[in-house]
Amino acid sequence: MRTGVFFCQTEDRKGINTDSIAKYAANLPEVETVQIIKVPPLPDVDYLAGQFRMNSLERVVIAGDLPGYYKPVFTRAMALAGGNPSEVRLASFMEHGARGENAMDRAKAIVACTVMGVPFPLAAIPGGNPVNHSTLIIGGGIAGIQAALEIANAGKQVYLVEQTGTIGGHMAMFDKTFPTLDCAACILTPKMVSVGQHEMIKLLTRSNVIAATGKPGSYRVKIRQKARFVDVKACVACNQCTEVCPVKVKSEFDAGISVRKAIYIPFPQAVPNAYLIDEESCTYILSNGEKCGVCAKKCPKECIDLKETDKILDIEVGTIILATGYDFLDVSKIEQYGYGKFPNVLTSIEFERLTNASGTTGGRIVAKSKRLNKKTGTEEWYFSPEGLPPRSVALIHCVGSRNKKYNPYCSRVCCMYSLKFAHLIKEKVPNVNVYEFYIDMRAFGKGYEEFAERIKQEGTFVVRGHSASVSMKGDQMLVRGEDILNDRLVEFEVDMVVLAVGLVPSKGTAELAQMLGIQRDNDGWFSELDYNGNPTDTDRGGIYVAGMCQAPKDIPDTVAQASAVAAGVLKNLTSGKGIGHLSSITLSEIEAKAKKIHVY
Amino acid sequence: MATRVNPEFIDDLVRFGAEDVQLCYQCGDCSTVCPHADEIYKFPRKSMRLLQMGLEKKIETTLEPWLCYYCGQCSEQCPREADPGETMMSLRRWLISRYDFTGLARLFFRSRTAEITAILIIAFFTGSFLLYYGFSGGGIGIYDGEGAFLPSSFIHRFDLTVGGILLIFLLLNAARMWKFTMIDGTHVKVPWWLYITEIWQFPWHFFTQKRYAECEKKHEHPVYMPWLLHLGLMLGYVTMLVLVMVFIEALQSGPEIVWQVHIFGYLASAGLMAGTIYFIRNRLKKNYVQYKKSHGTDWVFVILLTIIVVTGIAQHILHRTGVPEWANYVYVVHLMAVVPWLLRMPFSKWSHLIYRPLAMYFSSVRREAIKRQEAVFNNYPVFVK
Repeated sequence: MRTGVFFCQTEDRKGINTDSIAKYAANLPEVETVQIIKVPPLPDVDYLAGQFRMNSLERVVIAGDLPGYYKPVFTRAMALAGGNPSEVRLASFMEHGARGENAMDRAKAIVACTVMGVPFPLAAIPGGNPVNHSTLIIGGGIAGIQAALEIANAGKQVYLVEQTGTIGGHMAMFDKTFPTLDCAACILTPKMVSVGQHEMIKLLTRSNVIAATGKPGSYRVKIRQKARFVDVKACVACNQCTEVCPVKVKSEFDAGISVRKAIYIPFPQAVPNAYLIDEESCTYILSNGEKCGVCAKKCPKECIDLKETDKILDIEVGTIILATGYDFLDVSKIEQYGYGKFPNVLTSIEFERLTNASGTTGGRIVAKSKRLNKKTGTEEWYFSPEGLPPRSVALIHCVGSRNKKYNPYCSRVCCMYSLKFAHLIKEKVPNVNVYEFYIDMRAFGKGYEEFAERIKQEGTFVVRGHSASVSMKGDQMLVRGEDILNDRLVEFEVDMVVLAVGLVPSKGTAELAQMLGIQRDNDGWFSELDYNGNPTDTDRGGIYVAGMCQAPKDIPDTVAQASAVAAGVLKNLTSGKGIGHLSSITLSEIEAKAKKIHVY
Repeated sequence: MATRVNPEFIDDLVRFGAEDVQLCYQCGDCSTVCPHADEIYKFPRKSMRLLQMGLEKKIETTLEPWLCYYCGQCSEQCPREADPGETMMSLRRWLISRYDFTGLARLFFRSRTAEITAILIIAFFTGSFLLYYGFSGGGIGIYDGEGAFLPSSFIHRFDLTVGGILLIFLLLNAARMWKFTMIDGTHVKVPWWLYITEIWQFPWHFFTQKRYAECEKKHEHPVYMPWLLHLGLMLGYVTMLVLVMVFIEALQSGPEIVWQVHIFGYLASAGLMAGTIYFIRNRLKKNYVQYKKSHGTDWVFVILLTIIVVTGIAQHILHRTGVPEWANYVYVVHLMAVVPWLLRMPFSKWSHLIYRPLAMYFSSVRREAIKRQEAVFNNYPVFVK
């Protein structure tokens, strides 16, 4: 069949060189002519028809990123030239994922298949590598926990790697979940306990992946497990060591609004339920064993070993699930809100810990109180359980999100958790005024819109307009904004400001992506293979993404994605066809297979 | 009355300098940080909204663009980088072209070629006329007095003619501005005596530009720097205009210095020089938000002003140092720049000298009228709390 290949590419993007693909296409059998057409504008119908007639083409292949756009013109030209319009075929680089390292080979294979009239997915079937039946999950938040349980409950081995001392992640810090106002801990802690007790889950806390090699189906992963200094099996969490520890540092779990000791348990329901020592603040470790060490002497079970060292583990796994989650944007760089300057300007996670019943004030919402720090002799602000509740609170949405200077994307959860805060404040503090400053209310999920309406009916002042200015006025703060729907400028005197801070990928995302060879998108989140079709796969075979590390999402979506990932993993393990990935098959393999199909 | 929508309005405004209006997502950050936005005049967000909706007729009647002095805080703050400050600036350009009934302002703002051609043509005719007049009546070597190349009495008549033309256009345009904003744009009844009780606003804002001083971002600029320089530039300008229109005979006499007149000239020149240098420097360095984008007319404005100031000072010095021949030539060049500058004034950025204090005056009248009406309904606009 006499074939003509026409390249319609507006510009060469990264990794694609049209000229060299054209040269390759010219050498394919039955190809009569190869042309690179400058677009835009759309190619001229008469010109194309002339070309078709001149070369007496029977089949026309349009190659490019989005060739479908040009198909109507080519079909008309083909009809004009007296050919068969259904022999206008598309070689779409974008659709079949010609990007990344082997974009050129993929593009060539796509063109070759199309020229032969073979659908690309039919020729390019990833090969069946044997699969190691154990799975590595990086990140012990709700996504990692969910995926681990799903896979382990199917009877497959799971390694769950978590870099802090406990699993649970951010969800463990939350008080309530929106929109149902369920207690977050009541949903999460049973799952955490199951993970801790599951015979098929090997839990590695305080661990980081430091190297990974191998191919889909058999990855060799090196993990560093930092010393915990406490024997997990022996520790009964009696709290005697914490009582004697002299070091006080800000609690990570409490988002810095309370203090913890150098030997601590992140929170009472932690899994594994054992204490650990923070090597960055412990006097004994910092002084190389010359000072302190009282906790080891005090421990009745003698389970504290201050001389423990880091361990390096080598494990072999078949699949890897990334569930590394997110961090909060550093809000002190957005100066107009005065975070860090005014005591009662809080980030959302700080407020979340304040209102949590297990938090430093026992769930009472109070403004900060002043006290004298005896050591430094300076005054400092802290949350006292006896503090005064705020008379009015401003909640500001979109702090750093949807902002070209910080995060251009929507963080997706802020609207809803801010509404939840409004409800919690109204519920816990009598006669309080709550002002919500929002740009667009993104209540997109099941029951979310109803929740938003409910909050409005509870008497929260919902101001459509973003506040860009927080200043001090006496002992209160003045929040200015424009109430767009009521067409007025507003000023509210408030005792507390809660900033709905935008989300960013967690700290190690870049290194992990580099280590595993995963693409990241412009905002730094892990790239999925195809946003609509394969939202859990990545460019590398056998590596999946779950939860926030792919893009911001709420808890239901995270759990759903984690379960979907588990299904994908289990399919690989149980189908018997092995695991493979497009990146593992070469151009010549695809060509050979296409030829085989072509003959029939 | 049905509201007319012009869907191509934003595209039209691109030629006036506003490029990013469509990016705005109405968060209101700009109105929040604006030091001049208040309960009656809320901007820039509202102006952005009117633009996005294409309400051309409505924008025509607004005074808000004139209340903005472009400190750039809104543009710095804007999460969408939609540049509301530049939009307000572009709206001022657009309003100038709207107040102007001849359509020349619109042509000049939209086309640099047209503007420069017009300037060159007027300069050419002015130069030819002056040279013809000079050589037919006097000697090139004589600067002032008997048989002068360009006698001061002639220059006086010449200046008054040009000034008269300028004034007619300016008054007609100002009248149109009044009609648009106070008749079409004010939907409350304005008692006539409000125009009298608020008249002080016009000279007050004209001579002090107090609102510009309120605009300062003190953390960024040396305190009050742009305001002082802008004020110096404007006062220097007005002083020079008065000297040239009224005291030209004394100004041109010499070669000895007439201190009681010339001292004003020196001060005015200093103000003009300082202002021009400051604004050119900032436009080149683009160090502050408000100088990042320079419309073509901005450059024509400062370059022409520089030519006028430099040649004016040069002819003064040359005359006093005893080179009257060169002084005369430079004087012709000076006038070749001055005449197009003056004739162009009602059609250019320069006309904000009149429109801005007028807008302050009108806005104050409108504000009082609104307050009066709201008092009738016993419904003051109040801040919520």
